[in-house]
Amino acid sequence: MSKLVIPHIHKTLGGAGFFSKISETGEVEDIKVNVLEGLRQIEGILIGRRVFEAPLVISRICGICPVSHILNACRALEIALDVKISPQTERLRRLITSAQLIQSHSAHIFFMSLTDFFDIKGEENLIKKFSKETSAVLDLRDFGLRVIETVGGRTVHPMTLRVGGFTKVPEKGDLKKILVNYDKAYKAALMLVKLFETLEYPQLKRETLYASSYEENSYPYSQGQKIKIGDEILTRGDFFSNKIEESLKSFPVKKVLYKKEPYMVGALARLKNNRNNLDKESQGFVNSFWKKQGIGEKEFFTNNFYNIYAQAVEILYLVKQVKKDISALEKEELKPAFVECKEKKGSGLALLEAPRGILMSYLEVGRDGRIADCSIITPTAQYLNNLEADLVVMIPQIYKLSKEKKIKRIKTLIRAYDPCIACAVH
Amino acid sequence: MNKKIKEKMKKKIAIVSLTACEGCQIALLDLGKRFFNLLKKVELVDFSLLEENAFPKGKIDLVFVEGNPITDEDLAILKKVRKQAKLLVVLGNCAALGGIPEMKNYQGKKKTIRHIYKNTKNIANPDIKEINNFVKVDFTIPGCPINNEEFLKYIKVLLTEKTPVMPMKPVCSECPYRGKENCYLRKNIPCLGPIIYAGCDAVCTKNNFPCYGCRGFLPNIKPEYFLKSLKKMTNKEDIEDNLEIFGLKDNL
Repeated sequence: MSKLVIPHIHKTLGGAGFFSKISETGEVEDIKVNVLEGLRQIEGILIGRRVFEAPLVISRICGICPVSHILNACRALEIALDVKISPQTERLRRLITSAQLIQSHSAHIFFMSLTDFFDIKGEENLIKKFSKETSAVLDLRDFGLRVIETVGGRTVHPMTLRVGGFTKVPEKGDLKKILVNYDKAYKAALMLVKLFETLEYPQLKRETLYASSYEENSYPYSQGQKIKIGDEILTRGDFFSNKIEESLKSFPVKKVLYKKEPYMVGALARLKNNRNNLDKESQGFVNSFWKKQGIGEKEFFTNNFYNIYAQAVEILYLVKQVKKDISALEKEELKPAFVECKEKKGSGLALLEAPRGILMSYLEVGRDGRIADCSIITPTAQYLNNLEADLVVMIPQIYKLSKEKKIKRIKTLIRAYDPCIACAVH
Repeated sequence: MNKKIKEKMKKKIAIVSLTACEGCQIALLDLGKRFFNLLKKVELVDFSLLEENAFPKGKIDLVFVEGNPITDEDLAILKKVRKQAKLLVVLGNCAALGGIPEMKNYQGKKKTIRHIYKNTKNIANPDIKEINNFVKVDFTIPGCPINNEEFLKYIKVLLTEKTPVMPMKPVCSECPYRGKENCYLRKNIPCLGPIIYAGCDAVCTKNNFPCYGCRGFLPNIKPEYFLKSLKKMTNKEDIEDNLEIFGLKDNL
């Protein structure tokens, strides 16, 4: 028996570590993806606080995907308080959600995961090898960030997104300005898809249960109603209340199982369940990727290294969605969009696709108008079990490699998942 | 100058995160090309978001620290980087004032954690304290998140081994509604602008969101007088709640 330990896996959000015990024959006897963050107790902190504080506090769960956390908290409270939002608010929210995915994905696949496919370390060498691409990706990410800033007020912890709508709606002129850089962003997104199409992805084969929001006629990255897991389609309430279980033993992360099984969420899960609702061009890239890599649907959806490519495809799709939504908004009169809500007793469960997958936020308001209960299930908490299950399958296959190569491969898989430990622990 | 010598003369900087949302680091990344241009002029010895080098030994010119020390490891990292740092700068509201996680201090921390875990035996649950309770802090870049433009301004000074001086101005000095009808205070809505450090470009009030003071009280003022005046607008409980959000209450 030998131990293989990676104390700190860099280039993940929040700190992760890896621990394993491996037998003489390469079988995994024990495995754990550790978290290096303390518990901030965001859910506990909110109990007894005023309703308007909830989105503000929940935003601070994560600095990379605050938009997703805020919007889902707002939606949960709108359900709790019977607040109806306008179609325009809905569209503005979808716009900022697209931007959230673009900026998070592009930071992840380019600055965190890409070096794993080459013998290069650190941002300095990455920039040297891919100088043109770095510049393009920074422009692309900036395209997303300007949307968040224009609609949300600032890029990290935007403050305009509130229960009932927005404290302030953007100026049309400012939205128009974003589109000045559309061509640049679109070209950069194409470049990224093509770059990630040519990478040599490590082999991995494990039947995986994929879960994502599901809509019949659209790609469901915005507010969701239903969840598709495997071949089943469930309401979000059924999924949350009856089918999944959070473990209290895996503190400080409550790791989640679906009917006692691990499952995968995120970009690859969204492609699995909804790729037919992507635009033709993005769908075409998925198909040509399979051809170029010499794989089919089955291989694609049993190897979670491909999550990276799935994110690249989503960026391309979402850059175009940003243009669509802004163009539609330009034709409308942008109205002040803040619905005053009466605080009353109630509860709401909201579902949204955050960059890393299904985010569920449950909030309860008490008779006193204060938060009475709060539960937030983040994507990383959901897929940590799946990540460990993948590692159990992969490690015996790479057992004969040098220690250095083994460590590199393990880090590559962990980073391909794009874990956000800050979200997982909160 | 010889390229090698130039490289050697570059200042070493580290950006270290304790338990945090990492939003202040992301705010740096959000500077895009301007952040990467800055990196060309320094030697980035630690920034785990972008690189995976082992933490260096020896002196580091500038260490930025984000987040709260919650676990024992957080505290060990904080003490270690203090020893190695020529200048230690804290980034953001959590490190500077305790931030959102400090709210639990007012709730009875044993009660707060029980909403999340029934068995709390092995989970780190210390009182949340500002970083200057544990180590000496040379400079603070405040805010939740930090204003990345301000970071660019101050790092220039910090790289000359001096500590910058922040202008003694309140948020109101940057607020477009100052003295106007739609000033929150005129509308009888509590806003902490008059007693809070400027430098955020009043980004919240500009976006129709009152100031809750994430940048901290201006030094050498008595916030109590101003806070008393808010009692005309709302009750004591609301005022206290407002002060708890970004860790101001224990600084009174």
